[in-house]
Amino acid sequence: MGVWSTAQAVLDGVLLGALYALVGMGMALIFGVMRLVNFAHGAFLMLAMYATYVLFERLHVNQYLGFIAAAALLFGLGVVSYRFLLRRVAERSDFMQILLTLGLSLIVTDGVQLIFGADYRQINFPLMSTSWRIGRLHFNAPWVLSFAITAVLAVAIYLFVMRSRFGRALRAIAQNRYAAGLVGIDVQRTQALAFGLGLATVGVAGGLLLPLFYTYPAVGEQYTLKAFVIVVLGGMGSIAGAAIAGLVLGVVEELTSLFWGNQWALVVEFAIFLVVLSVRPSGLFGSQRA
Amino acid sequence: MLGAAACKGGGKPDASAFHIGVVTSLTGPSAAFGQAHKNGFAVAVAELNARGGVLGKPIALDFYDDQSKPDQAVQGVAKLVDQDHVPIILGAYSSENTRAIVPAVTQKQVPLIIPTAVADNVMESKSPWVFRICAGADAYAAATIDFLKHNGDPKTIAIVYENTNFGQSNVKSMHAAATAAGLTIVAEEAYQASSPDYKAMLQRVASANPEVVYFASYLLDASTLMRQSEQVGLNPKFVTSAGTGFAAAEFPTEKGAGKFAEYTFSISQWLPSAKWAGSTQFDDAFTKLAGSHPAYHAMEAYASLLVAADAINRAKSDQPKAIADAIRQTKLETPFGPVAFDDKGQNAHPVLVTQVQGGQYKVVWPADAAETPLVATPAWADRK
Repeated sequence: MGVWSTAQAVLDGVLLGALYALVGMGMALIFGVMRLVNFAHGAFLMLAMYATYVLFERLHVNQYLGFIAAAALLFGLGVVSYRFLLRRVAERSDFMQILLTLGLSLIVTDGVQLIFGADYRQINFPLMSTSWRIGRLHFNAPWVLSFAITAVLAVAIYLFVMRSRFGRALRAIAQNRYAAGLVGIDVQRTQALAFGLGLATVGVAGGLLLPLFYTYPAVGEQYTLKAFVIVVLGGMGSIAGAAIAGLVLGVVEELTSLFWGNQWALVVEFAIFLVVLSVRPSGLFGSQRA
Repeated sequence: MLGAAACKGGGKPDASAFHIGVVTSLTGPSAAFGQAHKNGFAVAVAELNARGGVLGKPIALDFYDDQSKPDQAVQGVAKLVDQDHVPIILGAYSSENTRAIVPAVTQKQVPLIIPTAVADNVMESKSPWVFRICAGADAYAAATIDFLKHNGDPKTIAIVYENTNFGQSNVKSMHAAATAAGLTIVAEEAYQASSPDYKAMLQRVASANPEVVYFASYLLDASTLMRQSEQVGLNPKFVTSAGTGFAAAEFPTEKGAGKFAEYTFSISQWLPSAKWAGSTQFDDAFTKLAGSHPAYHAMEAYASLLVAADAINRAKSDQPKAIADAIRQTKLETPFGPVAFDDKGQNAHPVLVTQVQGGQYKVVWPADAAETPLVATPAWADRK
């Protein structure tokens, strides 16, 4: 396999990995602050894809602006579902949380299926066929655009969590929920906002994935699993770790596909997952939280 | 529910109609084909009921949506036979799901007519309850090779396939056929459908520089594969395929691969322009119902119900055994061609090779059925 092919695969891996990173960051944020594995993550990603789709098809909103509305919608949904559902199981066993988020996932997936049917949906826009070449490297315009927006937002979210007062509250809760309450942080409000922010993040990813892909009600399933892998690799709740893990996963997938064939991509992915879990359970990238 | 039905005499929930079971994928990744099934069946029901139905009763179809999952398809058979008491089942859509239900119908001793499953292993069990009206993967590979031999006789081929029963069966058939015909197989790539990115795999294929690529793909993947073939500059002289995604009505439209579908070759089992009587009428009726022209998957569903109704009428019985025996004796002219089953339950159906030209499927092979000569495939860089 030539140098150019390898370089192209790494490039494609980074472009794809950036979206994985965003999906994983959303999950890591939620996990870090709430110790909750959100099994509805992929379903919400799908919801964001449909929101962007409807905006584009019905209201002719540009495909690179729709994600803003999708993120806002998911933020709202996140806060509401925290208030009315998740808060009730926050102190209960992990099993209850798994059941609740899985249930949410089913409701969202089947709800969308009821409204839109099971048809896959794709948006078409002129830019799809636009590509640039640098040397023998090939850049498909929609992928580059999605990547650029993703990169900016990923950095913004990271800075927000690390620098802002709200972010400090998040991290305080991640470290110790009870102590955070004692020093005057409104834990429930912060957690509600964190869940909203986590979903908004995956909403952005969904909105930016739509122009590259197609959507159907079950499209999210594979991303829930990927997000889970990313959170574990990234160090259970570390946002920066999740971002790096997402990129690594994208590059690993592409290189595996190039050198061994596509059917090995998932095998390698989960092999790494298992090895990391057993050898370095705190994740590849340190144990720093949120 | 069950108890109540049993008390009323153990009959069907609605005894005024003749119930036939259908297992297909109305939801999930194969839904586009399941919907084609559904519309094809609907045209057949309307037509048959207008002629008086079967055994003096109108036909009612009991659909079970397998959600594109094999385990659900098996549950569908149990539900249709044990609760709805249907004496015959049609389906499933995909090869994967069909293979899953073959043991189930055999065990429950209910005849199954397979409309669309191409993998040849769905017929391997030699179950006396299983009949297939479509041609299989071996026939696909043989027709493709025959076509290539007579059109430039290329020497190298790459096979790219989705990694479930449909793709695996087609790669097996093509591997054997290509080897026997003296072609060198330079790459064999399996992929998981439902990935947004096949570029790395396509690069692997491109680096092997094949004259022919043979794809076995469903619709979602077929569209992405063609778009990304352009991106990685995969330029074989012939893009050929085992039908399905590459033969779906949506594929050459903007809902599918659009202009990237142009010049691709595909196996087809039937087209609206087919020579068999009734093809045009089916095309019209389907188009009126569905708003788009049918691909062969819809026709196969339609024809399977015609075959079922014919057998039930000849059997003069609503018992599975009698119906299965009647299906075995089938000699029916349909718009899908003449249908008769050999001792393995397989209908001998001829296949065609089509090419997308100007966004339309045109038959280019075999020579006696060709609508138009084939157009050589230009490199991506030379297209506008």
